[in-house]
Parts: sequence; structure tokens; C-alpha cells
Amino acid sequence: MFRLNLKIALRNLWKNKAYTLINMGGLAIGLASCMVLLMYVAYEWSFDKQFKNNHKTYVVYNLANASGRIFSWAWTPGDMAPDVEQSIPGVAYASHSSYPEDRLISYGQRNFKKSGVFADPSFLKILDYKFVKGNPDKVLKGVNTIILTETMARNLFGDEDPINKTVKLDNAEVLKVEAIIEDIPKNNSIRFDYLMPWALNVKVNPWMKTNGYEGNFCLTLIQLQDNNYFERANAQIKGIYKQHKKDSNSEAIMHPLSKWHLYSNFENGKSVGGRIDQIKIFFILAFCILLIACVNFMNLSTARSEKRGKEVGVRKTIGSSRKSLIGQFLLESLLLALMGMLVAFVLLEISLPYFDELLDVNLSINYSDWRFWSALTGLTLITGFIAGSYPAFYLSSFEPVKVLKGATIVGNSSLSVRRVLVVFQFVFATCLIICTTVIYQQLSYIKNKPIGYQRAGLIEMPIQGNFKAPEKLNTLKDLLIKSGAVSSVTSFSRGLNEDGNNTFSVEWPGKNLKDETLFNFRFAGLDFVKTIGTDMISGREFLSSSDSSNAIINESAAKIMGLKNPVGTMINSQGTPLNIIGVMRDFVIESPYYRARPMIVYHHMREVNVIIARLNPAMNVSNAIGKIDEIIKTLNPEYPVGRKFVNDGFEQKFQNEKLLRTLSNWFGGFAVFISCLGLLGLALFMAEQRKKEISIRKVLGASTTNILTLLNRDFIRLVVIANLIAFPLAYIIVNKWLSAYEYRINISILPFVIAAVLSLLIAILTVSVQSVKVAKSNPIDALKYE
Amino acid sequence: MMIELKNIEKYYANKGVKSYILRHITTSIKQGEFVSIMGPSGAGKSTLLNILGMLEEPTYGDYEFMGENVLSLNERKRIDLYRSHIGFVFQAYHLIDEMTVAENIEAPLLYKKIGSAERKSRVADILDRFSMVAKRDLFPNQLSGGQQQLVGIARALVAQPSIILADEPTGNLQSVQAIQIMELFKRLNEEEGMTIIQVTHSEINAGYGSRILHLLDGIIKEDVNLK
Repeated sequence: MFRLNLKIALRNLWKNKAYTLINMGGLAIGLASCMVLLMYVAYEWSFDKQFKNNHKTYVVYNLANASGRIFSWAWTPGDMAPDVEQSIPGVAYASHSSYPEDRLISYGQRNFKKSGVFADPSFLKILDYKFVKGNPDKVLKGVNTIILTETMARNLFGDEDPINKTVKLDNAEVLKVEAIIEDIPKNNSIRFDYLMPWALNVKVNPWMKTNGYEGNFCLTLIQLQDNNYFERANAQIKGIYKQHKKDSNSEAIMHPLSKWHLYSNFENGKSVGGRIDQIKIFFILAFCILLIACVNFMNLSTARSEKRGKEVGVRKTIGSSRKSLIGQFLLESLLLALMGMLVAFVLLEISLPYFDELLDVNLSINYSDWRFWSALTGLTLITGFIAGSYPAFYLSSFEPVKVLKGATIVGNSSLSVRRVLVVFQFVFATCLIICTTVIYQQLSYIKNKPIGYQRAGLIEMPIQGNFKAPEKLNTLKDLLIKSGAVSSVTSFSRGLNEDGNNTFSVEWPGKNLKDETLFNFRFAGLDFVKTIGTDMISGREFLSSSDSSNAIINESAAKIMGLKNPVGTMINSQGTPLNIIGVMRDFVIESPYYRARPMIVYHHMREVNVIIARLNPAMNVSNAIGKIDEIIKTLNPEYPVGRKFVNDGFEQKFQNEKLLRTLSNWFGGFAVFISCLGLLGLALFMAEQRKKEISIRKVLGASTTNILTLLNRDFIRLVVIANLIAFPLAYIIVNKWLSAYEYRINISILPFVIAAVLSLLIAILTVSVQSVKVAKSNPIDALKYE
Repeated sequence: MMIELKNIEKYYANKGVKSYILRHITTSIKQGEFVSIMGPSGAGKSTLLNILGMLEEPTYGDYEFMGENVLSLNERKRIDLYRSHIGFVFQAYHLIDEMTVAENIEAPLLYKKIGSAERKSRVADILDRFSMVAKRDLFPNQLSGGQQQLVGIARALVAQPSIILADEPTGNLQSVQAIQIMELFKRLNEEEGMTIIQVTHSEINAGYGSRILHLLDGIIKEDVNLK
């Protein structure tokens, strides 16, 4: 029975190749989209979960109360971990570690700037990295030792055995390689290329030893013996700052490691989500796309009901029960789902590398993972079942007498169900079109918005090695300008796209005592304003080293301070009295979506870390770059050049929006495409159902145009209804999305017009393919059947 | 008595107006009879046949099939009953296009849950009897109308029914093929004692049977015994 049904199902699919292709294609695209999105969701979900005890591991967050507002970050004092381990019951391990930072690491002639972390032995107890070589119980205990990841070891040593060989850190410390661990996967919050003992960090920075609870410079991880201790441990750790430092305004909380990645946003000391919101959207999107693919299938299958009806009738008269008919139809849809899945699989393997690069993730199909296979099987079965359910129940309900007599079997109810389904598909597609358009508009608006300086043709590179000496830096500057590759050079304490370095402690005349404004502070070299291409609103920029007690503030700072004549005013920042000599235009350092934060710029050559240079427009870029690299290589041979375009760094700020744009673009396109297939299905069905009516009309003298209008009018109505439902829905969604940005476009009518026109156009084109055929057919063919 | 109809009525009520299709049909059909139902278009022939075949229910009346009151049975029982006793033959053959000749014939046996070996032998048997062994793997659209109807009859017979209901079995056939089909029916009736009820327009076809029911406007006008 099963075998025969299978055989017949296959024959059926083969016989109607076009129909099978449309159906399978729709399902395949739906399934592939769903799987890519689900894999992405699973990937994000898997963050930090590969550690054996991740569920009882916690990250300590510092909640700092600044005049009523609570700032939260995972930076904690160096003494906290040992204190926690000693005094809080139930704690298995507590570790402190530094945040990953790029340092120069070299072996012989091989130099790499790679990211390293300092950590104590407990760190490896809490996070069980896989050791390739070396003993996990015996590492990180010395001072001048190092653990390398496999790739790092291969880069440094090639095929040699690295164990017990020595590498050099920042051209100063000589470190012995103790162990090799597997590379840190991309879905890890803490990523590094090598690991060094905490003791080395203290040796290099002796102040850490006596810092107590003054500075927050560590990541503190806690692992509990089991989670029953959590409530008590969390209560006890709360007051740990005040215990050790009476006037501290900080509290500590334990945030689960497994939630670190997805729930990283805090508002007033409470976890309020984070990436998880985006993940939820993708999750819903995944199933919506699959659902519209299923709807498609239902539409196309029922569209062929007239044909299948006869078979149902015959089968029923020769003794088939309804149940076995349902079984047969479900079998067919399962078969199609399976075929769709096979195609989806191919699509998936082809598109994954593209998505990996796009999303900067590492999605791959793990064929040995039973969860992958069960998800795959589950998805196929569910798809087959959902897609097949309506046709199966609907088709099997036909009464044989009616079918065999050739009466119209198709009730209006089934048609309206299908209309609703198509409307649903188009609501979804239209919403996606509108959202995509708005995302495009917002992105191009922000990108074209002046950012306050000329970022094109600006390069920056780290001040490292020899350049730490001011004379060398001056030499470099002279040489660069003399070479003609650059037109001007300056220095800055951070990259132009880097945030951080801010303070509350700024005093100015007439400051309200309750005022708690956060100021950015930076150090800049000479020619700063000239080089980055901004201008002064009043006053002048730094001219010589004698300006070290002077400061420049930006427009926002001047506004907040409320000074009538800022130039010449004395202010005090972090205990240093400063004389304001100029006000510069605001420019974007942090997010281009928000107003620039008030900023104070000092002049102090010891504090600058980045060289910023403007390329000479008279020389072509690759020439100039070559010259710059050459000069730097000669002056500072031990370090990689590390030159970056400011523009590239700026583009990074749009990563999230670009990702959203690309995803909504792709999946919106798919949704529209699948919806069109659904519409085609409905058109096929209507044409079949109205064959007789159309023939009669033609016999009575209707022209092809008359018939086309008649047929298309119905579909246009459906799409218009879908648009009307989609508009308010999309408006709510984009409005919510935009409200997160300070600089944002006003929602215009344009995206809605685009969506309406596009959906109507596509719908009419799709339907016309079918209706033209019907309208042109010979009426006698349809009528002589009666 | 194989079939007992008492006072069968069938009408459609439309806005309070009843339009009758069958009125006061009372008759009985014995095992081994070959009955032809005749009458002009719209007389209710097909409806009567459908009621006999349990594909339709009368609005009113009693119908006993082999002593069992059909109208009181639930759907499952009714399906069981006709699965094991009734074979249908249609004017338009109604073979399943996606199945081969052999599969079409086998289908009713599948629904009766008959074992694979027995299915095979019964199908082989009947193909042999109808001289269609060479055509077993062809699809319906590769056969002539007469051949298709032969398959239709074979499919009706393979389940070993007690009665065959045929709705204008030769309506779509040319006369030579029609004669073959009628000869076949006659042989089945005479040699195997198969009960056959057919609906027909043709006096000649009716002549092959043993009894004719003349229907007019839903009423039996005449009941002629040819023997």
C-alpha cells in the first residue's frame, strides 16, 4: 500500500513537472532561508556555552552609581577575585584576567601584533580550553611563560615544536612557551591568541599590586560549586566594594556567563536584553518565511483539486477510506518537503560561506551532530505536514458522486481560505519591502551626514616601538611630509573611531553642583585640526609644546558649560587646571547616530598613541601608501606597520545596520518571490475554476482585454488589502526601530509607495502569465465537457 | 433477496420548493438477476444507481442490502459493506491515470487489506481471463476506450463482488466494443451467476439482461421480465 502510494506520488510529481518545480523551489528557498537564520540564531545562542561548567560560571559586573544613574560594566578591581574566593562560600573558583589587547609577539624574524590576555591559573579551571600540548594544571604559575593557540604557534614556529622555546613580548619580556591550546572559536566572548600569567602583568605594571579597589581593570569570573549557592553568593558580593573602600559608590553583581553575549545591555543596573532582541527577530523571521512557503504549497496543491478530485472519487468508490486518502496526500507533501530539503541543503552549502563573510561568523554544518540531523528531520516533517495538511483534508473530503458526475466541487469556502493565505503572504512581503527601504534610507542618511571632519584620505597607525620617543616621532613626521606622500601629520591619544576615555570630573565656572556630565577626553598633537580637516569655531589650535596647560573643547562642551566667551576661561579636568584656547567643531567619534559628546582635548605628547596623517591628494594612493610603509619600516623595523584607513574604521560603525539591511534584503526578496509563487497558484486555481464562466463570456463576445481585467481585478484587490494591512504594521515596526537613533530620517511616504507599486506590479505580472493563457483559450474546449 | 427498496424518495429542497428526482420506488432484486434501468434523460436512473451503490442517500425510504438496513449504518460500516460486495463500472471508466493497468486492478484489493501473494495471483488471473496480460504495465491513456472499460470491469470484478453496478458502461464506446462489453456482462451473469445492474439508453444493451426497469420522472413506469 505504502509502496504503491509512494510510486503514485512520484509519478504524479513527475507528470506535473512545472508544478513540482514551483512547489519544490518555494519549499527549498523557504527551508534554506529558515535554516540559515536558525543556524545563525543557534550560533549566537551557542556563545560561551562550550565550556563544561558554563551554567555555573558568572561574570562580575560593576554597577557604578553616578548621581542617580547607574552605569554597568564588567570591569572590576584586581583584588576582587582573591577576596571572593576566600570569603564567599560556595565559590569553586574566582579568577581575574585582563581584557584582550594587541601586543607585539615575536620569534626570531617573525613579528605579529596579536591579542593576548593575562590570567591566573583559576581562569583555566573555570574555562576548560582544550590543551593540545602541555599540562593544564601546571601552567600560568610562573611569571615569564606563555600559552599559545595552535594558529599562533604555527605562525610563530612553523613546524617546529614550540614547547620550552621562548618568544618575545613587546620586544622586552622573554617568555617560555608552556602549552598549546586549540584556537578559540569565534563564538567565544573572550578571544585571544595567547595567554600569559597574571604575575607577568603585575611585573610590567607594578601599580596593580597596591591598587586595591581603586581602579577597575580586570574581568572577574566566578564559578560556583553549584547553583544553589547563587542567591547567597550574589547577595554577599553586592557590598564587596563598600567593604573594602568606604566611599565607593559601586556595587557588584554576578551575571551568568551563558547570558553574557546575548543579554549585555544594562539599564539602571538591570539586565535589559541586548543582542537577544535581534536574535528574536531573526527567529520569528525564520518561521514566517517557512510558513509562507508552506502557504504556497497549500495554494498550489488545492489549485489542482479539480484534477485530483476525480482520483479521490474513484478511490472512494473502490473502497478507500478518507484516512488512507489523507495519508496519501500527506505522503506526497512529505515527499516534496524532502525533495525541497535536499535542494535547500545544496543552497545552504553554497550560500553559507557568503553569509559567514557577511555576518563575520562561523556557520558550518556539523554533520556529526545529532542535533543538526534531528532539527533537519523535524523541520522537514513539520514543513511536509503543515504544507500538506490543508490540501489533504480538503481533497479527501470530496464526495465521489459529485466529483464523478463532473459537478463543480470547489466550494467558495476553500477559495476564501486561500485568499486569506495569499493576503497573509503579501502582508509579510510588503512589510519586508517597507522595512528594507527604510533601513536603506536611514543608512544613506547617516552616511551622507557630515561627520565634522574629512575622513577620506585619512590614515592612522599606532605609535609603537621606536616612535614612543618624541624625537623619532618628529623625524617620522618630517620624513613623511618630505616624501610628498602626506600633506600633514598629527597624533592623537586614541584612534578617530575609538570610544572610551571619559570622565565625570570636570569643573568650570558656574557649574551646577548636581551636574554629572560625562566628558570625553583626548590628547592631541600639533596640527590636529588642520590634519583631520575640521575647523575652529573660535580661538586657535595647539601651536607648540608650551600649550601643555591649555585645552581645546568642542562645541557641545562649550554649550554644556554655558560659557559666553569660552576662550580664556579656566577649567579643571581630573584635578588639572586648564586654560581654554579654542573651541572646535563637533565631530563624530563614537556613534554617528548620536549627538557628539562633550570633549576636552589636551596637548601632551607623552599620552598620544596614534599617528594620523592626511594623504597628499597630488600623489596616487597606492604610491603614497607604499612610501609611507617604507619609511615606517626603516624607522621602526621590529613592528608591523599597522596602517589603517580611517574610512574603513568608520564603516565598521554601520556593521549592525548593514547586517540588518543585507538580511532583510535577501529574505525580503525571498519572501516576495515565494509569495509570487503562491499568487501564481491562486491564479491557476481561479483560472481552472472559472474556465466555464470565461468560455461563456467569450462566446457571448467578451474580448481578451475584458477577460484579463476581470481576472486581474480580483488579485489586485487582494494585494491592495494586503497593503492596507501591512502599512500600519510596517509603520509601527520601523518607527520602533528608528526611535533608537538620535539622528534619524522622518518616515516618508516613499517606502510605502515603493512597496505598493512593487507588490502590485509583481502581482499583476505573475497573474497575467496565467490569465492571458486562459483568456486566449478556445471556449469550446471548456464547454464541450459538460 | 439481494436488494429490497421500499418507498425510496429523493428530492432537493430549494427555497421551500421540492424538486423530486425519485418517487415511491419500491422494488426488489434477486441474486443472479441482470437488470437494466432505462428511461429518458432526467428520469433519475443514475440517482437510483448511486443509491443502490450507497454513494448517495435517499431522502426517505428503506434500503436493505443482503438483509442489512443500509441507511442505519455508519460510514465505516457502509464502506466495509460495499467494499466487499459491490463493484462499480463507469461510463467514463474512471481509471486512475497515474496507475498502470495492473495497479488499477490491484487498488481495490489494497483497500480490502488482502495479502500481497493473493493480490498478485488474483490480478494475474483476471488479466489472463480478459486477455490483457501484455498490457499490464501500460497506463490508461495508452489504451483504447474499450480496453479501458475492460480494465474498469476487471477492477470491479477483482474484489469478487456479489453485484456489479454499471452506469452506462458502453456510453463512450463504439458499437463493436460495446457489443464485446455486453457479451462479457452476459457471460458473467449466466456463467458465474453475477448480479448486474446497469443504466442504459440502448434497447439493444437492455436486451442482454433479464429484466428492465423503465423510469420516467422518478417513478417506475414498467417492470419487464425478459425471461
